[in-house]
Amino acid sequence: MNPAFWAKAHGAAVHFPLALLLSAGAIDAAAFALGARPVTRDLHAAGHWMTVAGALGSVPAVVSGLLMTKGHLLGHGALRMHHLFVWPAFALLVALATWRAWTGPHATRRMFVGYLLMVGVAAALMTAAGYWGGELMVAR
Amino acid sequence: MDTSSPGKALGAALLAAGLALTSAFGLAGELRRQAVKGSHQQPTPELWLEPSTPTSPALVAQGRSLFLDSCAHCHGADARGDEGPDLHGVQVSDRYIANIITHGIPHEMPSFAKKHGAADITALTAYVRSLE
Repeated sequence: MNPAFWAKAHGAAVHFPLALLLSAGAIDAAAFALGARPVTRDLHAAGHWMTVAGALGSVPAVVSGLLMTKGHLLGHGALRMHHLFVWPAFALLVALATWRAWTGPHATRRMFVGYLLMVGVAAALMTAAGYWGGELMVAR
Repeated sequence: MDTSSPGKALGAALLAAGLALTSAFGLAGELRRQAVKGSHQQPTPELWLEPSTPTSPALVAQGRSLFLDSCAHCHGADARGDEGPDLHGVQVSDRYIANIITHGIPHEMPSFAKKHGAADITALTAYVRSLE
């Protein structure tokens, strides 16, 4: 298939996990800060499903990226920088979504602080990957 | 499933991450094998005599920097070829090089017209020309 198709598919797919993870982190952090209020449970539910959807959405993003680069795991230049952030971000996102789905609402407050910190790390990794992905696409 | 055990939840998370990475790397390996098997790219000779691109060490260095950002993931960091062809000693004109960078090759190489302006393409051409 024309590589341009996979480039477009990748460009379309990557924004879902980015947006979902960043929003989920913000919503979960807000819920955590609000403490025991009626809205907290709904915010946590939204954060839960957005994290899971973000992890599921990262699969087409990764697959389309691999098809676009014909299997390059690192590459050179800006592509290498992109990949150096993408792979840890992908693994961390899947791990966070799995942990969240496994524990459900049973996580203690202390565990949830750790989870939020790791969401912050994942969000930073994904943002850096997005930055270098943008460097590949736009004019210098 | 026992969702009350933090250790089990962490184990499941690590296992899922490992499986995800293993699957992605496995797919990448298969795609690389297919790409190498199906590659038939070679530099196309063009023996026209044309005025050369003005070349200076600074222009070549600028071209090298642009090359690493835009071209190295296909042609290799040393331009010795990877998925794309080796660019050393290509027997083509500067205009041909600039034309390929600008317009690409259908189904093989993307166009860089939107990413690189005329000055960038001059620098890239100077860099490719400097490869011997």
